Amino acid sequence: MRVHIEFLGVSRLTTGLKELKLDLETGTTFRDIVRMLGARYPALIGNVIQPDGETLQAPNILNHNARRMVQANQMDDGPGDGDRIILMSMSAGG
Amino acid sequence: MYGYSGKVLHIDLATRKTRVESKPEAWYKTYIGGVSMASRLCWENIEVGCDPLAPGNPICIAGGLFAGTPVPVGGKYGMASKSPLTGFIGDSLSGSWFAVSLKRAGWDGIVIHGASDEWVSVLVDDDKVEFRSADHLVGLGTAETEEAIREELGDDQVRSAVIGPAGENLSRIANVSNDGRKAGRTGQGAVWGSKKLKALSVRGTHGVKVANPEELVKLSYDILQAAQGPHTQKYRILGTSSNVLNMNKLGLLPTRNYQQGVFEGAELVSGEYLHEHYKAKTIACAQCPIACEQVGQVKEGPYAGAMGHIEYESLYALSSNCGVSDMAASIQAITNCNELGMDTMSAGVTISWAMECYEKGVFAKEDFKCAKYPEGFEAEFGNGEAMVTLTEMIAHREGYMGNLLAEGTKRASAQVDEERGTETYQWAMHIKGLETPGYDARTLKTFALGLAAGTRGGCHNRTAAYDPDIKGQVDRFSVDETRGELAKSTEEYASVYDTLPLCKFIRRCFTGKADRAGAWPAIAQLINATTGWDFDYDAVDLIGERAFTIKKAFNIREGWTRKDDHLPYRWQHEPMKEGPSSGYVVTDEELEYLKDIYYEAKGWTKDGLIPKEKLIALGMDDVAEEIGV
Repeated sequence: MRVHIEFLGVSRLTTGLKELKLDLETGTTFRDIVRMLGARYPALIGNVIQPDGETLQAPNILNHNARRMVQANQMDDGPGDGDRIILMSMSAGG
Repeated sequence: MYGYSGKVLHIDLATRKTRVESKPEAWYKTYIGGVSMASRLCWENIEVGCDPLAPGNPICIAGGLFAGTPVPVGGKYGMASKSPLTGFIGDSLSGSWFAVSLKRAGWDGIVIHGASDEWVSVLVDDDKVEFRSADHLVGLGTAETEEAIREELGDDQVRSAVIGPAGENLSRIANVSNDGRKAGRTGQGAVWGSKKLKALSVRGTHGVKVANPEELVKLSYDILQAAQGPHTQKYRILGTSSNVLNMNKLGLLPTRNYQQGVFEGAELVSGEYLHEHYKAKTIACAQCPIACEQVGQVKEGPYAGAMGHIEYESLYALSSNCGVSDMAASIQAITNCNELGMDTMSAGVTISWAMECYEKGVFAKEDFKCAKYPEGFEAEFGNGEAMVTLTEMIAHREGYMGNLLAEGTKRASAQVDEERGTETYQWAMHIKGLETPGYDARTLKTFALGLAAGTRGGCHNRTAAYDPDIKGQVDRFSVDETRGELAKSTEEYASVYDTLPLCKFIRRCFTGKADRAGAWPAIAQLINATTGWDFDYDAVDLIGERAFTIKKAFNIREGWTRKDDHLPYRWQHEPMKEGPSSGYVVTDEELEYLKDIYYEAKGWTKDGLIPKEKLIALGMDDVAEEIGV
């Protein structure tokens, strides 16, 4: 299946990419995707992804199809073919 | 008493007399500082029912508990008066060395009464107060005014809070400026202007005595170290303007006066674009190790020389919401607001209402006549020059349109509807008279409740109920029985930070977790090391409930009723047609249900009034006497 990954904020500055298309095995989880991104772009580790290589550093979070924020306990779910995943860092206030 | 002087300074501009009021320790334990103490001072000193621009409306300034100490992000103060926009409590916060000077001068708070006949600049020089003519400062911008005062006094350590031309001209969206930061919302600058108070300067030369200096330094150092790490990285590198693309992707970016939630030009006005093409530097508030403020500079083209402090809330208002995708025009408009002393959010939302009126034929070109464009100008969405020019016109109340928009969206639409028989109130994006923030609430249902019920009006910062919606902790598209408690919990969480005050960007730096369990024990330690008190988790939690309650009580005494907890017409009746948030509104049934469960969660009556026993349990007996039911 093909999945579109969009990078916003720090992840965009770190990877130098706005978007990436990944061809994945069916059954690939969000956690797998974070692992892949960490392996492909090591600079994300420590900045966006925690040193374990599979957990996002708050307030970074994955959004699934502009509808659902993927929670920590949903990282073993996965996207479907043609889905769009946005790696963003959310916050407000001050 | 440690951490406080125990004294509040009262200054009467009419009589030019001052007096000192001593406050007991119990009062400080209840109201702490920041917006809570400022609102309490307003409760005690206002002429109930007065016009916000009349002498009976005091300017109440409250210091921060941690200002002048090593505690990171504690260099803030609160200010309150009755808002000229809402007629309810107008409370603002600002990070500033002004807050530190106030503390070092030995004042926990300052209350300014009455009105001067002539323009005045007040200098608080430790325990002395001097009234100085400000005639020569009138017309100067905010930074120019601060610099002129420093030069006059020959002391670059004097810190001033000032107004610009917008405040002088009683624009209801005017703010108060200090060190380039703003006590920005609810029209405080107009209250200063109504008193002919151009500036309040403070020179403080004393130290701040804390109960346990060694412990406070140790705690502060640990927080400071954490504040340099990944928890705050986004703020340090991109600042809050990185939210432009986040909100756009979620269909929440206010676009063309909230008619849409997705802006086709978002990339060109994003934090990422700013970082790459316009970023001049980052700067920090007083006592802040994070330094989130991104300064944008225009180097070429018609707006060359513009240099503004670019925050997300300024950017959505003065770019996408006006349909403008020219970052240079946005920086110029924000620079104008900064220098002329005007709230960027209210300015942008009011301008976008005028643009919609123009596009729909309510206004014509000649309604926009001004010195720069004697024949008027086109004011369609996307016209950056129109947006820039309107910021100048509003500050100076220039021409028909400048004078109209200086009243803010609520009054401007009411006036036009009366004059022209139109229904532009349906496009007026405000709550209680305060213009709405940069998150479209049609699909942020918890946030919609937080905004509607907020004491300040259309303010994201006092409710924080966007957090569970945006982060997906609840289904943002629907309503359920948990939202009343959630709105209560988030507003009281925010109120703790706004009362101490501490910048909320530090919230993950105590233990790595931003929730109460992660932050309250650490904040209790900071309070105890500063004051010698014995605050615990529960005592910290109560700070927020008390802060919100005194503001609510103020509003009730000024005539608040349940119908004042409303949303803009558009969010309730006009679904967006495109994007992830299309098809949704907050229905009347949803809003009334949300209010019911929120009032219940707060322990209030169905009409939203506060039972006496609730107020007494919070230690607010005198408030119970006046407004308790």
